[in-house]
This record gives sequence, C-alpha cells and structure tokens, in this order.
Amino acid sequence: MPLSMVSPGEVVQVVAVRAGWGLQRRLAEMGLNPGVKVRVMNSQRPGPVVIDVRGSRLALGQGVAHKIMVALS
Amino acid sequence: MAGNIAKKKITLALVGNPNSGKTTVFNNLTGARQHVGNWPGVTVEKKEGSLSYEGYDIKVVDLPGVYSLTAYSLDEVIARDFVIDGNPDVVVDIVDASNLERNLYLAVQLLEMGAPLIIALNMMDVAESRGYRIDVNALAREIGTPVVPMVATRNQGTRELLQTAVEVAKGNIKVAGLRLQYGREVEEEIAKLEKIISSNSLSKKYPPRWLAVKLLEEDEEIIKKFKEL
Repeated sequence: MPLSMVSPGEVVQVVAVRAGWGLQRRLAEMGLNPGVKVRVMNSQRPGPVVIDVRGSRLALGQGVAHKIMVALS
Repeated sequence: MAGNIAKKKITLALVGNPNSGKTTVFNNLTGARQHVGNWPGVTVEKKEGSLSYEGYDIKVVDLPGVYSLTAYSLDEVIARDFVIDGNPDVVVDIVDASNLERNLYLAVQLLEMGAPLIIALNMMDVAESRGYRIDVNALAREIGTPVVPMVATRNQGTRELLQTAVEVAKGNIKVAGLRLQYGREVEEEIAKLEKIISSNSLSKKYPPRWLAVKLLEEDEEIIKKFKEL
C-alpha cells in the first residue's frame, strides 16, 4: 500500500518507490530507499506525511507519499 | 594553492547533511569571530569565520546543509560550486556517526569530485549510545581519506580536526580519494565520454571522470555548463 495510507504511529517497511529516477534518487539520498523501516509520525489530509527515517524526520507531500509503496512490518 | 600556503592562509569549507552538527563545529572552530552574510543573489545564509592555528590563518566557510551534490536545490548548487570554484584547501565533511550510511553518500560524492576531504565523524557519543562500534582506522583506509572522530557538542576532537586540516593543506597527508566502479557497461560509457571531455576546457576545472558521470546522470547544471562553451 502507499505510504500516504498509513496511520500515524505505525511502523512500515519501504518496498518500492514508484517514481521517476530523479525522485527515486532524491529520496535515496535522504535515506529513504527500499528495505528501510519508517515510522509515520503524522499524516493528515490536507498536509504532509511526517515520517521518522533513520533517526531523522522527513515531511513528504501527499503526492510523493503516494508513490512510496510500503508493507506493514 | 601553493601561493595560499606560502602566505600561510588556509581556506577550510564545512559541508555535511542537515543536522550533522556543522554549525556546532563551526562555532567551536571560530568562536565569536564570524560574520553572517548571504551568497550573492540568493537567500541562503553564508557564514564565514577565521582563526589562527600554528601560524596559519584559517578561513572557515560554513556551507548549507545538503544530502548530496546534485543540482536539485540552490543549497546543493552553492555547496558544489564552492567546493570547486572556491578552491578550498581543505573540505571537511561533518558526518553524523549515528547515521553513517546516509551521511557517507555525500562523502562519496565529494571524493569523486577529487576534493581534499577530511571526514569529521561527529556525534560519536550518540553512535556509542546506540551500540554502534565504528572502526575509525578501517573507515579511513577503505574510503581513502582522513577520519577524525568528534563530539562537537562537548568540543571534543576540534584540535585533532585542525591539526589534520593543516597537515592536508600542507600536503603532508594525501587524500587518496575513491574511484567507484559502476560496472562494465557504465564504465565503458564513462571511458568514452572521458576521452572526449579531456580535450575540453571544462576538464581543467573539473575532473573529467566526474564530468562524465554527471553527464550520464543528466545533471542539469553540468549540461548547462557544456552548452555554454
């Protein structure tokens, strides 16, 4: 499922980033690549999805969050 | 660069991921002797400070926090341009030791650019509290550049960093650098491009191999530079 559907508090694992190589690389630079575990800290529509990834907080737009496929871990 | 050293002046650039402690290191190094300005034409803060160490006049430039040196944002372009055009004698990459994997991405990019790099392995205390044991010597050996462990919030490692910076600027410590292998197919393309690029005037300023890699990545800034020729 897309990261944008995950409720706050849940920990999920990134399975794939369904985006162009530009966004894929950009997210990987910030430590968000397939395999990594993230915790959703805040997710409200409208508004960004705030996640904890490798000890840093990232705020992603809904559009970007929708392209990140995750699985419950 | 030789002229700089004759005058005993060293320019030291601080780079690193956001929240890796660049500003803390900057403050440790320069104390109150700093001023805040702006990079020309843009609204990204530029901080410069200076200090004297062992007869050297060291200018410290705090660059914007970036995850990489691609041309996505102004911050990255500024950091990259300064590393290349600012001719720093030493580039210090402040690395969050508790988040090595992500932070080393930038370090690799700097090494590929051929920057005179020192890794300041900051937040060693946080890394230890998380149970990480980092073999500093092995890391330095593997990536071919000096590594200085630090706890900037407690001002630990600042002297060692300065000492290493002076040694690198003097040429006593050589930064061996890193040559990543991209696999046969990509390497063939890199070799082809490198050959064409090396007769080009841009290759005087940038390492040809790095330009070739950036062209393959379709880096907009670098493509623009080639178009401007």
